[in-house]
Amino acid sequence: MSNDRIEDKLLHLLPAIDEFRLTDRNSAFKSRVINAKRFFSVEQALLITESYKENENKPKIIRRALGLANSLRNISISIEKDELITGNRSMGVRDGIVFPEAGISWIKKEIDSLPSRDQDSFNVRKKDRKLFFDEIVPYWEGKTLEDFIFDGFGDRISTISKVVKINQKDHAQGHIIPDVAAWLSEGPQGIKRRAEEAISGTEDIKKLNFLKSVLIALNGSIFFIKRYSDLAFKKAGESTDREQKKNYNGIGRICKNLSEKPAETFREALQSVWFLFIILHLESNASSFSPGRADQYLFPYFKKDIMSGELLPEDALELIESLFINFNKIVYMRNYSSAKYFAGFPIGFNITIGGQTGEGKDAVNLLTYLFLKAQEHLGLPQPNLTARLHKNSADLYIDACSKVIGLGSGMPQIVNDESIIPSLERIGISKRDAFDYALVGCVELSTQGNNLGWSDAAMFNLLKVLELTLNNGVCLITGDKIGLGTGTLTDYKTFDELLKAYKSQLNYFIDKMITAVEFVDRAHAEILPSPFLSSVVNNCIRKGLDVTAGGAFYNLSGIQAIQVANIADSLAVLKQLVFDEKRISKKQFLDALRNNWRDDNQLRQMVINHIPKYGNDVEWVDNLGAGWVEYFSEQLEKYKNCRGGIYHMGLYTVSAHIPMGENAGASPDGRVSGSPLADGGMSAMYGRDRLGPTAVLKSISRINSLNASNGALLNMKFLPSVFKDREERQKFNSFLKTFVKLKIHHIQFNVVSKKTLLEARKDPEKYRNLTIRVAGYTAYFTELASDLQQEIIKRTAHEV
Amino acid sequence: MTGTIFDIKRFAIHDGPGIRTSVFIKGCALRCLWCQNPEGQSLKPVLWYFPNRCIQCAECIAVCPEDSLSSAGDKSHFINIDRNTCTTCGKCAEACPTTALSIIGEKVTTEKVVAELLKDRLFYEESGGGITLTGGDPLFQPEFSLSILKEIKKYKIHTVLETGMYASAETIKKFIPYTDLFLLDLKLFDDDLHLKYTGVSNVIIKQNFKILAAEKQNILVRVPLIPGYTVNAENLKKIKRYVSEIRSDIPIELLNFNPLARDKYKILGVPYDLAENKKLFSAEEMESFKQLIKD
Repeated sequence: MSNDRIEDKLLHLLPAIDEFRLTDRNSAFKSRVINAKRFFSVEQALLITESYKENENKPKIIRRALGLANSLRNISISIEKDELITGNRSMGVRDGIVFPEAGISWIKKEIDSLPSRDQDSFNVRKKDRKLFFDEIVPYWEGKTLEDFIFDGFGDRISTISKVVKINQKDHAQGHIIPDVAAWLSEGPQGIKRRAEEAISGTEDIKKLNFLKSVLIALNGSIFFIKRYSDLAFKKAGESTDREQKKNYNGIGRICKNLSEKPAETFREALQSVWFLFIILHLESNASSFSPGRADQYLFPYFKKDIMSGELLPEDALELIESLFINFNKIVYMRNYSSAKYFAGFPIGFNITIGGQTGEGKDAVNLLTYLFLKAQEHLGLPQPNLTARLHKNSADLYIDACSKVIGLGSGMPQIVNDESIIPSLERIGISKRDAFDYALVGCVELSTQGNNLGWSDAAMFNLLKVLELTLNNGVCLITGDKIGLGTGTLTDYKTFDELLKAYKSQLNYFIDKMITAVEFVDRAHAEILPSPFLSSVVNNCIRKGLDVTAGGAFYNLSGIQAIQVANIADSLAVLKQLVFDEKRISKKQFLDALRNNWRDDNQLRQMVINHIPKYGNDVEWVDNLGAGWVEYFSEQLEKYKNCRGGIYHMGLYTVSAHIPMGENAGASPDGRVSGSPLADGGMSAMYGRDRLGPTAVLKSISRINSLNASNGALLNMKFLPSVFKDREERQKFNSFLKTFVKLKIHHIQFNVVSKKTLLEARKDPEKYRNLTIRVAGYTAYFTELASDLQQEIIKRTAHEV
Repeated sequence: MTGTIFDIKRFAIHDGPGIRTSVFIKGCALRCLWCQNPEGQSLKPVLWYFPNRCIQCAECIAVCPEDSLSSAGDKSHFINIDRNTCTTCGKCAEACPTTALSIIGEKVTTEKVVAELLKDRLFYEESGGGITLTGGDPLFQPEFSLSILKEIKKYKIHTVLETGMYASAETIKKFIPYTDLFLLDLKLFDDDLHLKYTGVSNVIIKQNFKILAAEKQNILVRVPLIPGYTVNAENLKKIKRYVSEIRSDIPIELLNFNPLARDKYKILGVPYDLAENKKLFSAEEMESFKQLIKD
């Protein structure tokens, strides 16, 4: 790298950043946010309801915009003294927002269990409960997205619900990266001007209504930003502390500028980014609006201020950290079932750093490192930080990622340009957009600012379909016939006959799933058009079309195939034990499954321990999984979605391997009925990958990553000692580099904690892959005597 | 050619540079009281029993042709093995659904071992790693070990030989062309103590060390820190002086005591001298030992 290039990216300033520390102000801000009690909130619901009542006869899209504008003009706002970057969509931190346009039926049913439920609970004030039943329910009953879908398609969705989880049925779908760069460079005023120009060029009534709704939303947004300016100046006037007065006045000026013109300074840009995401949440209350490649689009603002001497790198870090803490103010209240599928508030402010420029050059700059530093200092769940690697990534950058990974927050997660970019190009995304990809939500792939990926349309349980194939379409749990009558295991003379039947069952459910997903997609366009979001997604304004109706440049739908490990393992057992070696009769095996292994523990153990498993670099087993995932992907791609785009496949779950496991009976891989499936997406079944991490990567590399253009996920566990010092990390770093060469999309690391080891003692079967590395010696953790396990636990806790 | 191994471990990150795969060659001439791989001492296969995996199905008792297995019904240790009559034929391990019974020590061909070793080539290349022969002691099956190294060298993969050097000079010299790094164990400098605690004299070991050093081989000396045996200032200093007198550029690595090995003795039903409360040395203790061998 030549000197001037290093300076172009400000990397000559890099050595100083190791000295930077978390400031007291941000430390106070952080603890305030993470310790806030979560409450159920109806304030915005009341404002939306008021607006809907006042505008009964206006077109739907106008009413949506007016509801948003009423919220922007009247929702309570606050600015606290520890905030450099400020703003929220509700008064309380981490409130659970009632969003009536999307759905209230589930809240009606679950409101009294919200405070006590075991996953993602919320406190409910008596007053709010009363307002909900008195003001919200009577107006909205029967009018929400949830009602629309349930009335129109509920029966059909429920007939396939054991196999397919259709998402986005009671909330807006989110999962999108807005055009942040345009929002920054044009500001809401600039975008407004574009919308006004478009209005003057059209006479189409639908387009006019859409564009008018965009203007309503943008005017509301400008007003909202101005309110923060007014409040900040007011607080400055009231404040006696000099430092606080200065900060309030600073915020006041920044917000005033942002209400009038585009961002100019780095701090204005950060504040502007946060306003954008607050407003998106006020409009949609959805999961996974992701900022995308913030280290790229913020860099010009950063560089300008650094070069002019207006900003010091350590002050820039404090601002970045303030923004990062803000990302933890918003959580998303889901119904109980959905909270289990997406546990722990994965709100999905995914920031993707590093990677390559559109010209294929390394994109890492000083901001990239400052973002890693912020994660190192804060270790918060949001933003979800993702680091892009490619085959020419610098060792220094890889090591900076490893160092933060070793701290155990699970971040940054690592994604691979070498496999992701080709997979995006394969589905017709331009080279320039593919090189500019970023992650949405958890691991979903997207281009930036021009793509409604609808990446979380549905999750498809491949293992459940195998169960139905073995049992003539009859569910092993309920005894209901939900699949095709293709026969039972005893009817299939050969393994190939079984596979043929599996194909028919898959096709049957895929077809039913697509119909349901399509209905849901159309329902969103009908009930939840999103004019503000549309204003920051290309080419909605130019087309005069809302993003939910197909206004985006790219229109995709993502379906997750779940889970490759269970399918590979189950088919391997059937092939080897039942069909090839015939060590057990088909009837006996089927009976064992039907009885949930009750009297067949010996057989179950034989299945678990004596048949090779996915994740151990055994080619024929891995290929069984890889082959079926490929088949599934090919079938999906035969369909077109209602926005004119394609369906494509993802290989990930968030926590859905647990509820999807609850839907599946005993499976041929030795899994007992109702227990979790393999986690992550591409991971091996827990405890069954016994040859260490290199074998796992080799197995996974047999899946054709080109098919997983919607995203993929791999979880891996390491002991903290692997990250101990630079020398130890070198080995981990070369592990990451090999991962890049093996063309696997994604990997994230859990650093094994004391808690995990304690769990492993209790449930050894699940954790048989935990290895303890000592020179010239290896043992599996779960094989150690309990006092020795204790020893390791102590050591690990110490190292953490 | 065939030989007996008792394990292959991938992602070995403490047995030489980079990411490696280690092959554990069975058999060793020494009988160190503290041996951390006692299952690797004898060339013969060993039957292991992990009581915590056992589901008490008694399938093994039914298939044993020698009637060597029995049970007194104790659920925490269900199976008793009569090691005098057991021929380690492996029928019980085959029948055992949970691998609570396993045979340690598999006869394998060079080809099979090499095929396994080649699986992680990409990781070796990226990390500057390779393969390591350890054990037991690879020199206990010299021809077999050599055949693996010769084959692996055809792929230009980095090789490490970890050995206690108890072999003839002629044998050890054969390894020189196929070994990139020797990890050499020096445990006790004093010959009487060596004989007492490892079962053999160290005269031959020291001779071989001199040969490898004189041949300008790439060497790392490793001293296992065994409380009460190898850990004392005199022993460590003597080893240091000896090594630097022969060749001053040879580094010495001190290996922290590994308390985990204790479990294996229990499983094997062999008494273990260090069973009681011996712990890993702390970072401070390790530092003080390192000071002892500083130049």
